[in-house]
Amino acid sequence: MRTKRKTGVNKVRLAGLALGFIGFLLPFFIQFDGLSFAGHMALGIFLMAASFWMLEPIPIYSTSLLVIMMQVLLLSAQGPVYMASSLPETIPVNLQENLWQIPGSALDNNEAVYIRIDGKKTRRVDVEVTETREDMAIIRAPGLTEGDVIVTESGHWLIKYRAAHYSEYFRTLADPIIILFLGGFMLAGAAVKYNLDKNLTSVLLKPFGKKPMYIALGLMLVTAVLSAFMSNTATTAMMMTVVIPITAQFPPEDRFKTALALSVPIAANVGGIATPIGTPPNAIVIAALNQQGISIPFGEWMLLVMPIVIILLLVSWFTLGYLFPPTLSEFKLKLEGKFNTSAKAITLYVIFGLTVILWITEAQHGIPSSMVAFLPITALTVTSVMTKEDIRSLPWDVLWLVSGGIALGVAMDNTGLATWIVSSISWETLPKLMLLLVFGLVAYMMSNFLSNTVTATLIIPLAISIGTSGIAGEGFNLIITCIFVGIACNIAMMLPISTPPNAIAMSTGFLKTSDMVKVGIIVGIIGLIVGLLIATFVWPFMI
Amino acid sequence: MSIIYILCIEDEAEVLDVIVNDISALEVVFPIEVGVTANEARKVIDEILDNGDRIGLILCDHVLPGENGVELLVELQGREETKETRKVLLTGQAGLDATIKAVNKAGLNRYIAKPWDKEDLVEICREELTHYVINTTTNLLPYMGILNAEKLSEAMRERGLPSDA
Repeated sequence: MRTKRKTGVNKVRLAGLALGFIGFLLPFFIQFDGLSFAGHMALGIFLMAASFWMLEPIPIYSTSLLVIMMQVLLLSAQGPVYMASSLPETIPVNLQENLWQIPGSALDNNEAVYIRIDGKKTRRVDVEVTETREDMAIIRAPGLTEGDVIVTESGHWLIKYRAAHYSEYFRTLADPIIILFLGGFMLAGAAVKYNLDKNLTSVLLKPFGKKPMYIALGLMLVTAVLSAFMSNTATTAMMMTVVIPITAQFPPEDRFKTALALSVPIAANVGGIATPIGTPPNAIVIAALNQQGISIPFGEWMLLVMPIVIILLLVSWFTLGYLFPPTLSEFKLKLEGKFNTSAKAITLYVIFGLTVILWITEAQHGIPSSMVAFLPITALTVTSVMTKEDIRSLPWDVLWLVSGGIALGVAMDNTGLATWIVSSISWETLPKLMLLLVFGLVAYMMSNFLSNTVTATLIIPLAISIGTSGIAGEGFNLIITCIFVGIACNIAMMLPISTPPNAIAMSTGFLKTSDMVKVGIIVGIIGLIVGLLIATFVWPFMI
Repeated sequence: MSIIYILCIEDEAEVLDVIVNDISALEVVFPIEVGVTANEARKVIDEILDNGDRIGLILCDHVLPGENGVELLVELQGREETKETRKVLLTGQAGLDATIKAVNKAGLNRYIAKPWDKEDLVEICREELTHYVINTTTNLLPYMGILNAEKLSEAMRERGLPSDA
């Protein structure tokens, strides 16, 4: 008989909520040495976001929005914290040539004071303390001149931090990388609407014949190619409609259906690495590098990661064939596909082809891929290939998720939080290979349990600040580290919860969790090793 | 996530047993509830709905003591919570008039004549439940293993859900 189910609040969610609030408030009660006031607030936002993203008391995209809101309120020059506040001032008393009497609180670490330029701006001046008495200090300061006004509190929150204009944080919602993704979403949405994805699959699979292993290879290659331009999840769902009818032909004890059901999510996850728009973690990597003035053309990204993608696809194909060999010698592939030849569909094919060509040849013509991405966005709406209903059904939540991730990175960089976090570890003693491995391994482990995008969001800012602060010493390559971390986030596919494609594969009932874990670990470890080798021995010559 | 029930309404105990037995493979995900009269069925339905759960499929006999099956189906079609419920008439004695009424007024999805073939019955239930979850449910993954996975995948493709994150 039916029983009333417990409707109590999920404990994990409650813990996440509590942890998030504690994390947010913590930096307001504990003073960390070397971290500015703004850095404390950024740390609060970071801890809150990390707790919310990890334990998901609220949807991950709303955590992103919360991040942006908090930054606008707490960190921007127009927010309530920085808007009204003004630097407290005092006029130093000139005792004799170069000798001044000032309040002790104006001294920063007994070696400098801050000249107040206006209510929010300061200039640092080195001084030498000759004498301190009670709350006053006598200093020798050649840098001070008559009429200078100094700040009475060297620890004031306006010092060492120039609050950014609030639009700096809102801007992340329309960052070029977000526009690039929007372009990708428009193309993918239109492809699904006009069945381009399915028809393309039918055409591309035909040459692979009837032999099980070849069909598996074909499925993986086609999945990878499609997921490089479409969402990994949508590609997986589509490929499952091809795989499921095949599996019906197998005898019940044949384990090759496990291989097929696993081949699709693996290929989709790996294929997502292939292009900047393949999957959101790539966006985080590229946006973070852009912030540092480093741009990676679409085609260059593809060239860099292609060897890893191909090796991983082949390795997984061999592994699946070895673990779950087929018992049938051949089977039929039901491939019925007729390309839609309506005017709108043909318009889509042209726009799709043109966009992809322009993306890949970015290095040749020099038009940034984000700019190219506005072509499909505009052209598909101008031609009514995509209607407003279609536009509404695009995955805007993913764009917001990425925006929040970018915004978090921006704030961590602006406030000096990222540098402060990484400066606590002595990186220069670590061999460069080790450093790369540590970053990759941490990203891989986290990403198996968390959203890939969230993992990239939390780790990339740290990698960036190690690079820009120079504390890792010579030989540290920012681009290589960031792309490697991005790849590590994408190859985490050990568990059904690791990525949505895994969840889909698991739900078919053709495999056990242990199958997924086994293959996932093999692919992950080989991916990390191959990635590390290529990052160390090949990339330095390509970048 | 609310539970989706299958409801079987049949007045002959032995027949009811056979139906429940035949479709027992679906019970892992879709618990089966039974009723022998329209009144009893209504009570079961209210109880399920009160609990925050849903009814995905009703297999209903026509000739019942008291109110007949078609009348009950028409009533359920008019109710917001059971409008989407897939309605199947499983009967040997529904006349033309009753059947027409069931099609026109109760949104009848299927008519199965007694005696039925077990495999057909299970297949019809799977298909109807597949329609039901696609029409009413956001997360289709929990049903992939038991319902028509191909159709569910296709539905996910068209919706573009769930997206990468």
